[in-house]
This record gives sequence, C-alpha cells and structure tokens, in this order.
Amino acid sequence: MIESIKDSPLYPIANPKSIAIFGASNKVTTMGTGLLGSILDLGFEGEIYPIHPKEDQVLNLKAYRSVLDLPTVPDVALIVLPTRIVSETMDACGRKGIKHAIVISGGFKEVGNEGVTLEKELVAVANKHGIRFLGPNCIGVTTPRHKLNTTFMTYEGAPGFIGMASQSGSFVTQMFNYLSRHALGFSTAFSVGNEANIDIVDCLEYLSACPDTKVIALYIEGIRRGRAFVETARSIVPKKPIVAHYVGGSETGRRAGLSHTGALAGPDRLYDGMFRQSGIIRAQSIIELFDICWMLGSLHGDAGRRVVIQTHSGGPGAEAADACGRSGLELPSLSSETIKKLSPLIPHTASIGNPVDFTFGKNLMDYFSTIPEVLLEEKNADVLLYYFSMPNRTLERMLKHMGVPSDEIAALAPELLDAQCEAIINLVETGHKPFVGYTFQSIYDKLVRRLVERGIPIFQGPQRAVRVIQAAFQYTQLRDKILSAVSQE
Amino acid sequence: MTPPNGSKAMTLKKDKQADDLIRSALKREQRALSEYESKKLLSLYGIPVTREQLSRSAGEAVSAAAEIGFPVVLKACSPELMHKSEHGSIELNLRSEGDVREAYGRIVGSVELELDGVLVQEMVPGQRELVIGLTRDPQFGPCVMLGIGGTMTEVFQDTVFRMAPFDMTEANDMTEELRFKKILGAFRGQKPVDMDTLCRALIAVGQIGLELEAVSELDINPLIIMPEGRVKAVDALVVLK
Repeated sequence: MIESIKDSPLYPIANPKSIAIFGASNKVTTMGTGLLGSILDLGFEGEIYPIHPKEDQVLNLKAYRSVLDLPTVPDVALIVLPTRIVSETMDACGRKGIKHAIVISGGFKEVGNEGVTLEKELVAVANKHGIRFLGPNCIGVTTPRHKLNTTFMTYEGAPGFIGMASQSGSFVTQMFNYLSRHALGFSTAFSVGNEANIDIVDCLEYLSACPDTKVIALYIEGIRRGRAFVETARSIVPKKPIVAHYVGGSETGRRAGLSHTGALAGPDRLYDGMFRQSGIIRAQSIIELFDICWMLGSLHGDAGRRVVIQTHSGGPGAEAADACGRSGLELPSLSSETIKKLSPLIPHTASIGNPVDFTFGKNLMDYFSTIPEVLLEEKNADVLLYYFSMPNRTLERMLKHMGVPSDEIAALAPELLDAQCEAIINLVETGHKPFVGYTFQSIYDKLVRRLVERGIPIFQGPQRAVRVIQAAFQYTQLRDKILSAVSQE
Repeated sequence: MTPPNGSKAMTLKKDKQADDLIRSALKREQRALSEYESKKLLSLYGIPVTREQLSRSAGEAVSAAAEIGFPVVLKACSPELMHKSEHGSIELNLRSEGDVREAYGRIVGSVELELDGVLVQEMVPGQRELVIGLTRDPQFGPCVMLGIGGTMTEVFQDTVFRMAPFDMTEANDMTEELRFKKILGAFRGQKPVDMDTLCRALIAVGQIGLELEAVSELDINPLIIMPEGRVKAVDALVVLK
C-alpha cells in the first residue's frame, strides 16, 4: 500500500496542474474535441496545451505543433488519437519528460490480434520512459473538486464522496446526471479501460488514500491481479467500505475440468467468494451500487440488523416490515421505556408496535421530531427506517381546511417545511444510529428534496431502503471479520 | 492472512512424503491420483479420511474387512477411475465375509480397467454430505471450495470459494455463506459439525494448492458429517497437471 496519496501514479492523473491534449481540434464532432470541451466546461483551472499538427488555435487555446515545443513539461498527456499513432505520440511525450498519460484511444487488446501487438508496443514505449498511464480504451478521469473532467459528458452537480473505478467508461460519464439527481457525486472516478499499465488495484490504493472519498464503488467485468486485489481490498475495508457490481459471471464462461470443483467454479460463484473474502459488498445492479454507496457514505454509526420502522400508514409500514423479514433483518419489540415515552405522543387509534404506526396525530410536528427522537434512542434497535408520505400540496390543503387564510398559507407552508426539515437533520446529525428514509413521493418533492440535498438518504420504496440497511449491516460484519483476523496475527 | 502452520520439521517431512507420492504417480504417467493415493495425501495434511486398505485378492479383502470391522465398503481403485458411482464399481454396506468375497468378484468382473486393487474401507455413517475442493484460477491462484456434497452436489450448487491462504475466521465465514448452512447445525438428532476440524480441512486444502504445484484440482466428495459431528473424507480425487 502507498503511504500518501501523492505516491500514487494516479495522483498527477487525477489532479494535474497542466495537461497536453492530443486529438482535439476545431472540428466539433471528434472525440478529442468533445473531451476538451468537457474539460473547459467544468472550468479546469490549470494549463491546457492542445497539440495539433496544423492549427494555431484549438477552441480558442493556443495550440502547439509538437509536444516538444511546449514551454513546460505538463503533468499529464491526454491522448485521443488514431490507434496507429498512439505509440509514437507516447514516445514523444516521453522525450519531453512527461511521466503520466491517459490513453483514450481504442483499437488495442480489446479487438484482438493486431491490437494485442499494438498494446504491447505501447506498454514497452511507456516503460522505456517510465510513464504510468491509464487506458487505453478508456474515457479517463473525473475529479470535480479539482475541476477536472476528461470524460465525454459535462460533469453535473457538486463534487461528492463516491470514489469510483470502472471497467466501463459509461458508468463514469453517463452517471453524472443520475448522481446529481440524488445529490450525490464523485470524489474521483476512473475509467480504467484495458488496464495495460494502471489497473483497478492501483485505483483502490489511490481511493483508499483519497481524503474526499468516503466509499469506493467498483464496476468490474474481470479482475486481472486477483491476489493483489483481495489483499489490497482487505487492507482498505477496515477504514472505508468498498461496493462492487460485477458483470461477466455468466456460467457459460466456466472452464471444463475433471473435478466437480472445476465444474462448479463458475466465475460468478468464485467472484462471490473473492468479494466476501475481500470484505467487499456486492451490488446486483448499477442502481443498487449507488444506493449502497449513498447509504454507506452518509452513515452515522454502525448499522446492525435490528430495525425500527416509523410510519403513519399501515400499508407502507407492513411493506417495509415484510421487506425486512425477507432480507434477514429483525424488527425487535419496543422496550417498555420507549412505549412509556411514546404513549402521550400517539393517538389512541395508533399502534405502538414495530412498525410504529402514528396514523393521524394531534401534533403533526411530533412525527418529525419527538417520535423519531424516541425511536433513535430505542436500545433494542440499531437503525431507524422512516416513512415520508406527505407531499407539500396536501400540507397546504390541510392548512386551508383548518381555516388558515391563503396569504398566511404562503408564509406558513415554507415555515413548516423548514421546521420539519431541520428537525430531521438535527436528529440524524446528533444521533448515533443510522437513519434511512423511504417514500413513494418524487425525489423532487419539496421536503424529500431538501433532506436529500442535506445528505439524508431517502429511497424510492422500502425494498431499496431495506437493501441498503442490509448492505450497511454486512459492512459492519465484513469489517469486523477482517479486524478480528488482523488482531489474531 | 497467514494460517497457522505446523512446526517446520513436520512440514518438511510432510512435503517430502507428498512430493514422493506425486512424483511416482507422474512417473507412471497418471493424470490423477487413485482414491487410495489421494487420501494418503489428504491425511498427510491432517484431513481425516476413512480407515481403508488396498486388497489384491478376495482373501486379502476379507482379512482387511475383518481388521477394519463390518460393515465395509468395497471400491475399485485406479487412477483412471474418476467418478466411481457411474461405473458400478462400488459395493456398499457389506456385513459379512461372504458379502465381501462376492462383492470383490462382482467389482473385478464388471470394471474393465486395469485396477491397482480393490479398496476395503469402513462404512461411515451419516446422511449429511459436504464437498471440499481445490481449483486454480488464472487470476486468484489456488481457491478452495466448500459446498453441499454427495450425488446431489450439482443439483444444489450451493458452493462458496476462498483464495488460499486464509485463516480460521475466513474458513468459518465460508460455512456462514452456504445457503443450506443449517445442515451444519444440530439436525434430526445428530450433533452439530465439528467446526474446528472442518475449518482446518478447508485451510489444509488451500495449503495443498499453495505447496503442491503439480496438483491442478482436487475434490473431497463426500466429506461425511457423522451423527456425532465428526467429519471424514469418504471419497477423494486429486487431479494432476
């Protein structure tokens, strides 16, 4: 493992002060121009040196005929050129003294035959100059805090806490919009491509040392340095959770063998074991991958398996309880202290069990402050699963029916919203237990949106919420397993 | 992740015997060790195996049976014979000298391969069957498998894997990961599995993978959980490179 993030070959790649870009021109339809556009769009603050054989200016930046003409040695070369001239370009970069590169160009090992030879040649050239590079056949890197995004799509939203390494560039660049919709974002995300020089294990080391990364997300189709992968992951998991979505485990890929074991060692089952040994949580889809990252990145305290559910409608409570049961989570009975504290807050129509079903209370604010506060103190439970049901419009209607004049509603509704929002935030931030919301309302519903933007995880439907609780509990177990093994050594 | 090892002297002795076993099999151009040889290898690594003797005549079989104690099992033994139940080369639950003598004749008569002999082994009681295996993955190296074993192994497909080496905590976690892990607990009047021995067997199979390059794959199937919880390798196959 590296001592400091600056020891990682990925540090200058993710945080360059200057970039030479090969393949950008004034033709808007080319990939190279697109990537330069993306870099400019996010407002990269370092130097950008387009290298172009003919143009004097590229997208209003001074262009250079050759990398050798550059006034300084850039931190990183971004190469988006036809396959056949990539190696010679790398060689020129090496002669200039550049030590890091990102090779976007494809046409290498992934196409077989001649591509394999070209990739070997590229690796040899890089090795000759001591250049470390990402790719080829990748989409590069995004570090939104550094205002760097070499990928095709414009970065959306704020920088976040998810550090990602992906064997598909799409799950970096095409996820910006999805993540920002959930008020999430990347700390750094790497598209690793063919991993000819820098691989997923290098990314793990970088993300482990990255202070802005709270949780590591992986998209994997096949692990190359298997043994190093497991050992590196095990050294990271005690301090940072890792979540992986693995695809490529189809049983058709299994090798024929003479033993039962050979026949049963299909990649999917093998990877299941490797992830568990590594302490990595396995997600079943990209959506689930980011759900789990959301939960783990916003966790207050360790998750356990004992859940208390707060609802004010029977169906959504029963639905959540059912989902917990199916996922191996427990719904403990409430302690007598909790029941005593809840009794004055809950109307006689309500049920003080688990789920706690508030039905329709006298004081609406109890649902947002006093009741969840009592439930977060419940000694028999590890997690509060909380139902959000009230769309803003209904709230306004109720005020109207209570006889509040409409001009007062206009003032009162936002105040109520503020009060509800702040009550929840205060509880979550001062509590020592995980709080997870679920709703059937839109993520753009006023209250839900405000909370999500303040970092409260609220999921669409109880199943997704329950899955992330299960994953967070699994993280506690996997981490403790590795820690207990370490302490025995 | 370094598992506990025996003393160095023990390891050397074990290595020498294991090497000899494999070297002589390779010299005979065997693609696999016979069941008898496979179990010798396993017991060198501390994995409990059936008490058994290789017999080359009906008379030898009878006296072996008497020594082991009835009931016994007779099995054709040859490195060419990889999946015995499919060849009619196994005779179970033999309770007398007469049974053994007749079974010996049937096996020798029905198996067309040249045999090393006929294995006479104790009949291990117990309905709970596990499989432990070793596979070599190009990226992860030697990996150990634990699963629900017996003839239904590929029906249940309840298997878990770990990269060798690993420790007792990890071996324990393998058992936790089985879908049908209840089979390891108390079950219809039978005791829970001897978890310590089971976990040590898993670690030992990983050690075989790490120490013996010539072993390409390995199956212990079934590893029977006896009513009082002890485990024993009842059949084993070591495939060579």
